[in-house]
Amino acid sequence: MTRIFARSLLLASLLSGAAGGGAAEEIVVIAHPTLPKADRPTLLRLYTGRTVSIGMQSVTPLNLSAGNPLREKFLKDCLEQTEEQYTGYWLVRRYVGKGAPPPELSSVDEVLRYVQDNPGAMGYVPLSRLPRNANVVFRC
Amino acid sequence: MLPLALAAPAQAVDLAWSGFGTLGYAQSDQPVNYQRFIDEKGTFKRDSVLGAQVDARFSQQWGATLQVKAAPSNHSDAQWQASLAWAFVSWRPSDDWLIRAGKLRLPFMLNTENADVGATYDFVRLPQEVYSIAPTTDVVGLSISKTWFGETFDWTAEAYSGKASTYWRYYGRDRTIDNARSAGSWFLPIDMKSSGLVLTARSMEHTVRVGYHEGEASRPGERMGSGFNYAACPPPPGAPAGTVMPPPYCYNLGANDLDKVRVPIITLGASVSLPEHFKLTAEYGKSKIGSASRGLNRWGGYVALSKRIGAWTPYVYYAKVKSKGDALSMYEQFNGNAGVVNPAYRSYQRLMADLLADYDQSTVAVGTSFWVTTKSVIKAEWSQVNTGVASSFVDAPVGGESGNRRIDVLSLSYSFTF
Repeated sequence: MTRIFARSLLLASLLSGAAGGGAAEEIVVIAHPTLPKADRPTLLRLYTGRTVSIGMQSVTPLNLSAGNPLREKFLKDCLEQTEEQYTGYWLVRRYVGKGAPPPELSSVDEVLRYVQDNPGAMGYVPLSRLPRNANVVFRC
Repeated sequence: MLPLALAAPAQAVDLAWSGFGTLGYAQSDQPVNYQRFIDEKGTFKRDSVLGAQVDARFSQQWGATLQVKAAPSNHSDAQWQASLAWAFVSWRPSDDWLIRAGKLRLPFMLNTENADVGATYDFVRLPQEVYSIAPTTDVVGLSISKTWFGETFDWTAEAYSGKASTYWRYYGRDRTIDNARSAGSWFLPIDMKSSGLVLTARSMEHTVRVGYHEGEASRPGERMGSGFNYAACPPPPGAPAGTVMPPPYCYNLGANDLDKVRVPIITLGASVSLPEHFKLTAEYGKSKIGSASRGLNRWGGYVALSKRIGAWTPYVYYAKVKSKGDALSMYEQFNGNAGVVNPAYRSYQRLMADLLADYDQSTVAVGTSFWVTTKSVIKAEWSQVNTGVASSFVDAPVGGESGNRRIDVLSLSYSFTF
């Protein structure tokens, strides 16, 4: 399973380049194969730190760095948030002692690798970078 | 944020560092100090603060947070102080339970926990009429919260209990309690025990909070006074033992007859997003403290309206604080008696009035924040304070009054996080 996922990752990278998908593309949320499907409210709770698991399984949601167009599209399409709203929410949440925002990675490649290697990891990628056999848990 | 050790989350600790600060300047049109530091000469001390925080995540269930800050001291008007604002371990056995133990900031008002981080709210400074209601906002103790996730709102019940050592600030207009020759502030050490239950309903747009807090205040190694008596003035220094001063009588601080005093506090708050990017925020707090400083029995509230216009958020608020009527009446009696007693006892009578720690004032503020980035903000505000009978936020001049004053304050600040 891991090998197929890795090959797919490589193929997807070759086909679409390393920089990530365009802003107009559909975004899909992928997760380590152990995680079940999610709905939008669950996704929102995970990315806002209000929940840290699906069922009994711990989840590590991943974000791209602020300023990345794909992140802005994810926030808008999947979480129905603007960058200002989302960053503002986490500013308050962090400083009321309720934890830190999701880890930020710098590229789609890093997200794909992290999701593949780490049980519980969840991230988002453009449809064009979706590896074959990836565990798609939500389509925005 | 600097996520570390991402490659091996099961074994390593994820550390997320962040920092925050505010450089704030405020100037009034009055020579007297308002809120400890603001006068006509201007000050950076009222609002400036610098801090750093590290959030450590050992696993999805276990974490720890440490926050340090540097700000003007809470037991001296002349010094700055580095202190530990947060230091707790958190355990989240499931999504709906969160248990924290260590040094915590309590969820009194909507922004109490993040009050030091100016980049988390639009006001230049949070209305002190309300945000000063609690004798202390930090405890070393335990907090347990349970959340019920709803379609629109998440409902959280948080119970806490803990202890803290803090200081109550007093200001003597003509003299302090220890020094008959010099006006100034002093800080009374107080040990607080505090427990409470806070219910919060929160969505991405709205927050409603109600809380009941039961505190217990005591003086380390000493008892506390419950009130005043009207009796012979104290004999002057050097008078023979047993001297009883003839009338007119003085108001005197009674015996220290209490081991501790109850401090029940109720808090209410709501922040509601309205159409067209308007936001309405209102908070209310009421405290009761059964010590001689009965002016601390007070209520405070404010109503604020703001509107987000791109990077700008202009706002206006009206805030009011008022001690109970009997405390304000006593202040007037004590002050009035200063004109009746032998002139040698005038400052003594006015000190008794100051010890009541009365609050009676309102503030109208108009300001705006301008978000330079999502993590840094410039704010400007004009506010006008009107005091009634007396206000312990105002350090009255020698021979003068804190009451019946109008104070205009201009404030400018830059807040950031990184």
